[in-house]
Amino acid sequence: MELTKNITLGVYLPGETVIHRLDPRTKIIIASVLIILLLMIKSYPAYAVILTFLSAVIFMSGIPLSYALCGLKPMLPVLILMWVFQLFLYSNPDSKVIFSFWIFTATDSGMHMGNLISLRVIFLFTVTTILTLTTSMVSLTDGLESLLNPLRKFGLPIQELVMTMVIALRFVLILAEELDKIVKAQMARGVAFDRGNFIQKTKKLFPVFLPLFINAFKRAEELIVAMEARSYTGGKGRTKMKTLQMSRVDLGAGFVMLIFSAIVVLLIITIKPQI
Amino acid sequence: MDKFIEVINLTYSYRPGNGNEVKALNGINMKVFKGEFLAVTGQNGSGKSTLARHFNGLLKPRSGNVLVGGFSILDKNRLAEIRKMIGMVFQNPDNQLVSSIVEEDVAFGPENLGLPPETIRSRVGWALETLNIENLRRESPNNLSEGQKQLVAIAGVLAMKPECIVLDEPTTHLDPRSRRELLEIIIRLNREEGITIILLTHFMKEVVFCDRMIVMDLGEIKISGTPHEVFEKTTEIVRLGLDFPVATQLAAGLRGKGLKLPGNIITTEELIAQLCLLK
Ligand SMILES: Nc1ncnc2c1ncn2[C@@H]1O[C@H](COP(=O)(O)OP(=O)(O)OP(=O)(O)O)[C@@H](O)[C@H]1O
Ligand SMILES: [Mg+2]
Repeated sequence: MELTKNITLGVYLPGETVIHRLDPRTKIIIASVLIILLLMIKSYPAYAVILTFLSAVIFMSGIPLSYALCGLKPMLPVLILMWVFQLFLYSNPDSKVIFSFWIFTATDSGMHMGNLISLRVIFLFTVTTILTLTTSMVSLTDGLESLLNPLRKFGLPIQELVMTMVIALRFVLILAEELDKIVKAQMARGVAFDRGNFIQKTKKLFPVFLPLFINAFKRAEELIVAMEARSYTGGKGRTKMKTLQMSRVDLGAGFVMLIFSAIVVLLIITIKPQI
Repeated sequence: MDKFIEVINLTYSYRPGNGNEVKALNGINMKVFKGEFLAVTGQNGSGKSTLARHFNGLLKPRSGNVLVGGFSILDKNRLAEIRKMIGMVFQNPDNQLVSSIVEEDVAFGPENLGLPPETIRSRVGWALETLNIENLRRESPNNLSEGQKQLVAIAGVLAMKPECIVLDEPTTHLDPRSRRELLEIIIRLNREEGITIILLTHFMKEVVFCDRMIVMDLGEIKISGTPHEVFEKTTEIVRLGLDFPVATQLAAGLRGKGLKLPGNIITTEELIAQLCLLK
């Protein structure tokens, strides 16, 4: 199927490595801590430390490096554009001029700013990719539900939200398949989706999305009836078959993460920011 | 036999009050007994699904009542109990599976009942084993055939340990072979697990295995009885737009050619037995 092949969001590579076996909650927390650290880092040495850490994790998880990075490819033009913008537009009072032409001046602080921002985006992307590549969507939602559970005290419908996510996960593929079928049916009737100007192209999408939406609503209605028939009345009084359990591996991972975060925080405090 | 479901003067209409009201059920009276296999047939739009959705209170009667195990479906406090007793399987397997993992989907019902995790796990294992789909445990429903998906849907209902399972045209989306296999499983659930079965169907092939059947038309029950009794009412069956089982058609054809066959043949086995008696 052509359309679903391109949906790389949430691709999961099953495996039996330590990283795969970690409790989803541990992985979500570690990823969140990494993201927070990444947002605070402003120097190259700190990035080097993070790079070492992530390389080790990728190695341990057995993910092919090319696979982990291939998702970056479509982002490359944006990254380069961003870098160029920073190079010419950012400067602070004591920055040195590298070169200039016409009205543009490239400064060293601009270059550093571009570097740091690009690195940040690449690393943020890598962290989330590792998380989804090693954790199935089902255990991610399980972990999320368990972590967010305390918020129910404040009246937030956590269980219901997670149930919605679970259902969405199941139907994304079904709807993608359906979309594919409708597109093919329209093409068989001679609709050329790739021809015409922007408005003409957009017009051609109506006969595709209309039936898709109508079908989606019909499915939703049937699903609600089926869920009700299976005694679903919302999150209240529900139990779970799978109970998440932390193991010694999780404890070890937590320990490693603690030490690592301490080092990074130390670097953030002691090393003078690049810009 | 004990009566399990009792339908009393049930009337239902869709979109009441405005101009295009549809009277779907018209004074239905019927009983379903514990442990029986009941088939419900009738043309499209005869009201089968509407009737079935009253059995577990998915729809509420406009007038009349439905009692399940002695409880009225109008009693809000008993609805959870009634839904626990009566499981329901629908036509399109895709639109009744919730999770992207078979095992988790089967667990959905028991989880809703608030059972302890160990109980849920053992019930899920039991349901999958009973239907011989243990090997699909970790699969995603998206990768299964329609027949397998329908089995998962039945497993999900079975794991709730209902006393009765209502199946609303469960074989519509299946090919002939999966259809036959599914029917065999339904029969096995009825005979071996003692589960009351209510099967809504268009296929006369499926009807012949039931203990009792009802034929609906225009929201009313027109004929009821054992398959043998029902298929003897030849003119009425034709008028209600139904088929005859293949064996019955064949027997009628042979009778036309001069063979002396009795009129109450509905299964292939019966036809063969009668043909053997001829010589
Ligand atoms: N949601 C609805 N809104 C309005 N009318 C409906 C609705 N559902 C069913 N009906 C109408 O009620 C009548 C009975 O429908 P029902 O679905 O019970 O028949 P059925 O015997 O199950 O048919 P089928 O064999 O097609 O499944 C039909 O005339 C149908 O058009
Ligand atoms: Mg129907």
